[in-house]
Amino acid sequence: MDTLLILIPALPLAGAILVALFGRQLKELSHLPIAVAIGTSCVLSLFLLNEVNQKATDPARPANAVGYEHTVTLWTWADLPDVYQPPAPLGANQPEGTATPSPAARDYSFDIGVTLRADPLTCIMLSMVTFVSTLVTIYGAGYMHGDRGYWRFFAYIGLFVFSMTMLVSVSNFVLLYVFWEAVGACSYLLVGFWYEKPSAAAAGKKAFLVNRVGDFGFALALFLIWSNYGTLNFHDTTITNTVTQVSETTMGVLGQMRLADPALFVGGGAAMAICLLLTLGACGKSAQFPLHVWLPDAMEGPTPVSALIHAATMVTAGVYMVTRCTPLFVASAGVPAFHLGDYPVDAGDVVAIIGGFTALFAGLIAMTQHDLKRVLAYSTISQLGYMFLGVGTGTMAAIVAGMFHLITHAFFKSLLFLGAGSVMHAMGGIIDMRKFSGLRHLMPVTCLTFLVGCLALSGAPPFSGFFSKDDILGAVHDKAHHAAELGHTMRGNLYSSLYWVGMIAAILTAFYTFRGFFLTFMGPEKIPAEAGHHAHESPRMMTVPLMILSVFAAFIGGVFFFWHGFADFLRRTPSLAFKPVADTFVAHAEPHWDVMLTSSFGALLGIGIAAYLYLGKNTEAKFLAERLGPLYRLSYNKFYIDEIYNALFVLPTWLLAKLSYVLDQNVIDGLVNLVGWIPRFGGRLLRSLQTGMVQFYALAMVLGLLVLIAALVIRPGG
Amino acid sequence: MSETAMLHNSLLVGALLFGIGLIGFISRRNMIVMFLCAEMMLQGVSVSLVAWGRFHDNWGGQMLVIFILTVAACEAAIALGLILMLFQRSGRLDIAAWQDLREDSVPAYVDREIVEVREENKLWPKLTPSGIEPPVDPEEIMHREHV
Repeated sequence: MDTLLILIPALPLAGAILVALFGRQLKELSHLPIAVAIGTSCVLSLFLLNEVNQKATDPARPANAVGYEHTVTLWTWADLPDVYQPPAPLGANQPEGTATPSPAARDYSFDIGVTLRADPLTCIMLSMVTFVSTLVTIYGAGYMHGDRGYWRFFAYIGLFVFSMTMLVSVSNFVLLYVFWEAVGACSYLLVGFWYEKPSAAAAGKKAFLVNRVGDFGFALALFLIWSNYGTLNFHDTTITNTVTQVSETTMGVLGQMRLADPALFVGGGAAMAICLLLTLGACGKSAQFPLHVWLPDAMEGPTPVSALIHAATMVTAGVYMVTRCTPLFVASAGVPAFHLGDYPVDAGDVVAIIGGFTALFAGLIAMTQHDLKRVLAYSTISQLGYMFLGVGTGTMAAIVAGMFHLITHAFFKSLLFLGAGSVMHAMGGIIDMRKFSGLRHLMPVTCLTFLVGCLALSGAPPFSGFFSKDDILGAVHDKAHHAAELGHTMRGNLYSSLYWVGMIAAILTAFYTFRGFFLTFMGPEKIPAEAGHHAHESPRMMTVPLMILSVFAAFIGGVFFFWHGFADFLRRTPSLAFKPVADTFVAHAEPHWDVMLTSSFGALLGIGIAAYLYLGKNTEAKFLAERLGPLYRLSYNKFYIDEIYNALFVLPTWLLAKLSYVLDQNVIDGLVNLVGWIPRFGGRLLRSLQTGMVQFYALAMVLGLLVLIAALVIRPGG
Repeated sequence: MSETAMLHNSLLVGALLFGIGLIGFISRRNMIVMFLCAEMMLQGVSVSLVAWGRFHDNWGGQMLVIFILTVAACEAAIALGLILMLFQRSGRLDIAAWQDLREDSVPAYVDREIVEVREENKLWPKLTPSGIEPPVDPEEIMHREHV
């Protein structure tokens, strides 16, 4: 198992290094090392998944173990013993005056090992990431064919897959942060891949800068965790002193010892602050409101990148992180971040509210965009909102549903992006839906696979999006129901309104998805002039990944839904086997038939409206857009969020920079120049004395001598 | 004559020598004359040193003067050699021919009026001819008057 765990990230890294070093020689073969490495990683991930599944569900496992985890430490990265004396013993949850000092009362040591972990959550993420990456790499070999930066593209992809697999398999917060940044850097490099294009360079910069805001919150959360927990490792670490042979065990933040006793988690304001800051970090990476602005612009990158990084893998890192930190959110439950009426809204509720709001908000924007990739980008933001809604709701069913949606979304959204890329490839780089239509005869494979993706995304039964989205909505519905039963009226109202927000967003999803489909593939055939001789079905290298993905997009949801193994496997993740979460697990829960019916109806309604507006003569849509003028413009201009941010943050920063420039040029440089100018001025004054006449010099000496003598004579007291 | 009066007289002579030398050095442009003036200032100092040595009844003053004479002899040899070199380069003994060390922005000193050469000054000093007469380039400006 150790070898598998190490090889999965190591292979893509080796491939990336190989291509980075010898890419110029490999030229058109650059995709081979990367595809082979990632493909092998994918197979190894499936082996690992199988092995972890066997061990995790083994009935002979000790009963007191909280979930299943296996860690392997490669080497110690930092080991600074006793660097910080905590001001007071961890008092929040400790009984007063305990005789034996608790392990947390020791001085804090900063020991960070390069430790990889295998647990159900990690295995699922690893399999998903490597599988999608493999297909995208093969597709990319066709899509990027003939590009000047062919080898550079595949070196970046290899580096990204390495970073992403490390991100989901490392076992401490510091390395999580390191690879969190590493995937961000890869994203920056790939968004700005065509750096000669000013818009691509600007989009890369924007993605990087907006992510800084979130990462700042994440970093602060890490500082708080360290000063409150005294460690940043997920797992428990045991250090044996070589001289005394005494073993010391440090409780990890999410280790077995701490998970066994919920009282060992820090509560109160610190817990709330940690969770809110983690949420900020997750919002940055997963493009949630208000940090969603970078994702639509990131579509400037090559389309395989949009499919891999900005739909399937990197943007789900936030969801992964929140899921991983579920015990921290549970520990902060009941601590109010703010009050809604008299109901204290805690950190988990904040995540759910952000998710629900983003799902609706991004859906509203996606309705009116003309750029197919941008529609898909806003759709990604909206679907990530669903996942946040799921993990924020915090019950076992909701978290599993969130992860379930993450997996299905990875398949159907990468399928849709790759389909859009196929269209873009055929249309000579044009992706504006006003410039082409009726491509169903021209590109039948792309059309059919895209249709499957659309059905999955809009949640039409029995495609996979239907099951995962319903699971989330059902879990939210349940939570609202439970809260109402327990008499928490406000909590019930909050979650039932989130449920309805999710439902409306589902209708919007179906509408904008099929609007995109109808505008692209239906109607009269129209091909832009830029397409040239490209206007044909994409090569097999691109269509085969589409077909494979469409099979998964169609069926994986149903498979997971009817086979209960997914939830049963995932709940053995230590973070989710934590007792307060595990208690909410219901084995063989009844499917929510009412929710399913409502959402199926919603999906069909959305598809119906799209068909009515965009099939046929396409005149009703224009009429409606004119009648709803201000609302249409609000949606078309993305609620002016970019303009607001420009006015609030970019413009003041720009003005400050301009002011600093003027100050620097005039005041600071002026002072420096003044210092340089003083000797020059003095020199100019004295220059006229240098006459070259010996007599003049002699006279000056005599005069100087006279002055000296005079000073000597009239000296006071002389 | 008392020792004090003798000191006074000697110092007066020294001061006179120094003053005359100083005035000559500042006011004349002939390099040889300037050199002689500098020597004269040196001798003025030497006289006052000897006077003080006698007044205080020790030999320090005299000893110093012997040193000065020695150094002055060496210095005279070097200075005259330099003057000879400069004369060979410009054909003039006028120190104003050598103003090259001035700043670029400062204008060179040029004689506003050339004093007319009088007939009697055209007489060359009569020396007993000896050796071979050096060849003289008639093109070269050889005005030696008023230097």
